[in-house]
Amino acid sequence: MTISESDASLVDSTGTDTIVELRDTSVSFGMDRGESRVLNEVNIDIERNEILGVIGESGSGKSMFASALLDAVPAPGTTTGDVIYHPEDGDPVDVTGLSKSELKQFRWEEISMVFQGAMSSFNPVRSVRTHFVETLSAHDYDVDAGIERAKDLLEDLYLEPERMLESYPHELSGGMKQRVLIALSLVLEPEMLVMDEPTAALDLLMQQSIISLLNEIQEKHDLTIVFITHDLPLVADLSDRLAVLYAFEFAEIGPADEILERPAHPYTRALLNATPNLSAPLEQMRPIEGESPDPVNIPPGCSYHPRCPLADEQCKSIDPGPYDAGDSRNHDVYCHHWEQSIDDLERAFTESNSDDSPATRNASHSDDAEPLVSLEDVEVQFGSENDGWLDFGESDVVTAVDGISFDIYENDVVVLVGESGCGKTTLGKTAVGLQRPTDGTIEYKDRDIWKGSSGSSTLEDEEIRRALQIVHQDPGSSLNSHQRVRSILSTPLNRWHPDLDGNDRRERILAMLEYVGISPPEDYIERYPHQLSGGEKQRVALIRAMLVNPDLILADEAVSALDVSLRVSIMDLMIELQDAFDTSFLSVSHDLSNARYLAEKTGGRIGVMYLGELVEIGSAEQIIQNPQHPYTQALRWATPELEQDDDPDENPIRTIDVPDQKNMPSGCRYHTRCPDARETCRTQKPELVDLSNEDGVQRTACFRVDDDHEYWDSEPITDDAVDGDEDDDHVNVSG
Amino acid sequence: MDWRIRRLGQSVFTVWAVMTLTFVLTRFMPGNPIDYFLVEVGPDLDDPAQAYEMAELYMNINPEDPLYIEYYDYMTAFMQGDLGRSMSMNMPVEEVLAIAIPWTLFVMSWAVFLGFTAGIAIGAVMAYWEGGKFDTALTGYATIITSIPFYVLALVLLTIFAYRLNWFPTGGRQPEGVEPGFNFLYLTGIVHHAMLPVFSMFVTSGMAALTMRGNSIRVLGSDYLRVARLRGLSDPTIAIHYVARNAILPMYTGLMIAIGSMFGGAVVLEEIFVYRGMGWYLIEAVRARDYPLMMGAFTVITIAVVIALLIADLTYGKIDPRAGGENREAF
Ligand code: SF4
Ligand code: SF4
Repeated sequence: MTISESDASLVDSTGTDTIVELRDTSVSFGMDRGESRVLNEVNIDIERNEILGVIGESGSGKSMFASALLDAVPAPGTTTGDVIYHPEDGDPVDVTGLSKSELKQFRWEEISMVFQGAMSSFNPVRSVRTHFVETLSAHDYDVDAGIERAKDLLEDLYLEPERMLESYPHELSGGMKQRVLIALSLVLEPEMLVMDEPTAALDLLMQQSIISLLNEIQEKHDLTIVFITHDLPLVADLSDRLAVLYAFEFAEIGPADEILERPAHPYTRALLNATPNLSAPLEQMRPIEGESPDPVNIPPGCSYHPRCPLADEQCKSIDPGPYDAGDSRNHDVYCHHWEQSIDDLERAFTESNSDDSPATRNASHSDDAEPLVSLEDVEVQFGSENDGWLDFGESDVVTAVDGISFDIYENDVVVLVGESGCGKTTLGKTAVGLQRPTDGTIEYKDRDIWKGSSGSSTLEDEEIRRALQIVHQDPGSSLNSHQRVRSILSTPLNRWHPDLDGNDRRERILAMLEYVGISPPEDYIERYPHQLSGGEKQRVALIRAMLVNPDLILADEAVSALDVSLRVSIMDLMIELQDAFDTSFLSVSHDLSNARYLAEKTGGRIGVMYLGELVEIGSAEQIIQNPQHPYTQALRWATPELEQDDDPDENPIRTIDVPDQKNMPSGCRYHTRCPDARETCRTQKPELVDLSNEDGVQRTACFRVDDDHEYWDSEPITDDAVDGDEDDDHVNVSG
Repeated sequence: MDWRIRRLGQSVFTVWAVMTLTFVLTRFMPGNPIDYFLVEVGPDLDDPAQAYEMAELYMNINPEDPLYIEYYDYMTAFMQGDLGRSMSMNMPVEEVLAIAIPWTLFVMSWAVFLGFTAGIAIGAVMAYWEGGKFDTALTGYATIITSIPFYVLALVLLTIFAYRLNWFPTGGRQPEGVEPGFNFLYLTGIVHHAMLPVFSMFVTSGMAALTMRGNSIRVLGSDYLRVARLRGLSDPTIAIHYVARNAILPMYTGLMIAIGSMFGGAVVLEEIFVYRGMGWYLIEAVRARDYPLMMGAFTVITIAVVIALLIADLTYGKIDPRAGGENREAF
């Protein structure tokens, strides 16, 4: 290694403010195929009381980095190199050298961790209080004082302490569990908190709310936080410093603002450009070519060289050491050509990618166009009413979709967004005939798609079934793992184009694979799904849907399971295919940035759903730049941006948690969380009002868009009023 | 309505439905028991009409009445605890059952109890050394043994240990020539007689071990266990409250079902070992076309299953907070 301090094993070389230093720290697993290095000789100093954001795509070694900090790498992995912890007073501690009992004490008392599986981090049969108590007594802390501290922590996290402590884990929503887990990790007053993708499974609003809480918690408790994530925008605002991991090594470490504004490593720069967001012009977003390397087969020299536009001979042979980049002393970049990267990369990119991405176009339609699929007052209920003595089930009707009407036209793109449980996926499935509505009609080219299929759950009409297709969220599970790509793709062809003979079919499949950038197709056609990468699987799934020439494809979270750097390329592909095959897309997403990319690039619409209702729908520009509904505004607030915001806005929701769906709020369903709610909203239900103008189409269901509405004369609902209202006990937490 | 009351109602309904079904079905069977009874008893009597009175005595039914009245009579008598009179044993069915049930309970509860405890212990050990020699060998063994019906094994054991080696009696439930009561000889005699039947049930209950193994492996890989270790909880706490509790819980319902179906499972076993319990009497009753005893035994078997399931239902919420049911919020 070219590091100068590499011999500074036990000596704190950077001054007194370092809390943890890693020196040549590696994590490796012995595997059949050879040793697998999932963290490769990394060096970093984590400073006391900072928030360090560590960014890495899946398979970059970020989880191992987290575990290495506590010497908690799961067996049979081994950690080598030094992990040195500097207590505020006292001698440095060599973490990897601690005995079992010392380690037991060290973890949670000095450094604690909130990790990926937060949803399942609690013992399902023990109450939350027990979790706190057993942690306290295992470390010989005073239990009563500890519980008091836990209550304070819970309170700070906008939870009701008593209620939380008495609950069992399954009674809490995902967001609550996550916050309780944060409290649990802080109950022993550790110096440092390591968080590994702590918000990955949460909804936008919850994610953003927790991020803002973290800031407060960090200040209040003088914590050092290491926040590890694949989602760059999420930590952009929160972090003091950012560290970018690529292929099990750091690519760049530096102050957050510098990294965001003047990234010195080509990978950081590419990652920033590949990350869908709300404000950057669409033309600036480009995918990163190629895929991350396998841990047993890391390229020699700079591990990024196979994908780097600036790579030269030096890069291929010599491992780049840290160079000091930028003005500040602590901006390290592991790239030989970082200076050039800052200046030239822009050019390198524009040349290679100039005509790759499809131009923005306009899919919008004239008002008199015939809709392709038309939904009329669609309602979907799940569960059944309990009907008497012999029914073992309980009455638990959930209305997932409640009276929604909208049209999808030819060549149209509609993206449905909303929190989980808002009914967006159910609505999507209903629109393509995979879910039978309990009320209302769906028409495909003026034909009721459920006509003639009484009682059954599949569509009667073959043609309609062909015309409506779906691409699933997780391509891995939707492709049959026992079939080769060839048979996966020929099944739909056989079915819908029986006239083609074997050769034609093969030709067609090869052409399609080639078209979506899987080459050489002759090689891939014989592979099984597990031999494909995530991006390739999603491409195959897309082709499978396209091969039958559908008119409408439901893309259910089609890119959210993919790495950030792949999302843009898959979305570009979807847009391209949509254009080439004249199909329409109905996409479902929980991510406003992805929705914006897809809809804005195709001139499509974004529909915002809340608790089974469509609260706003309109062109991408209108929804993103000029949202009228308070809920859309909240989603927009919650979508992280790629810049440091000096003046964070007030959290625009009154309560963090979504109301119980079995007990829907009256009137406007958003009134329990809406910052603008007034008494009228509690009793009356707003209808979608057409606000379309020359800027684009937009329909919004909120009284505020009508200047003359009685809403303006009624009393605002304040939080006190909500708390005191007896029919509002479904509001879980006030925040 | 309270869900507990409803569950209770459902249980009563099930018992009633099974009884009614048995009643109706047996009446429409070819060679229906009443006709059989009349043919069987009639000729021996001086006055054939007496047969009807006999029927009334044995089965609480007057065969001359229409079906619904017979049904009504039978059910009313049942409600009063009168199950009729066994023809082959020539005593009230209740009394026959009262003699038989304790023996069955004795053998079967030991079989179930030993099967489950050993299964849990072995399964836990297998999971702990997952993939090791012990695990591989026992997984293979348990898989094979589970697929062998216990009566096959029972026959094998009987041949070897009773007929060849003479270690155990070939049948019966109590020692002969010993005064029944709380004396040493008698008690050891009982245990001696019960050993082979218990053992043959126990050895084939590899299912419990396999289930326990699977559950434990799942728990050992769970996130909450990893977090518990990071939190520094002591090993006993982790072993008992984290691993054991979560691994055994899902088996609770299985245990209750096993307890409930004890009487049903005893039928074949007792027949093989000539062990005079519920099952043995049931077969005897079928053989002798002893209709009242048959009905009585079936009813007891049904009630046992229903009660066990009811208890499982009502208590599961107490031991697993997730099933705590209906009043808790799901969010
Ligand atoms: S060292 Fe070379 S290959 Fe690696 S990032 Fe820098 S320029 Fe690219
Ligand atoms: S109608 Fe009222 S509660 Fe609903 S979004 Fe508008 S202002 Fe908020």
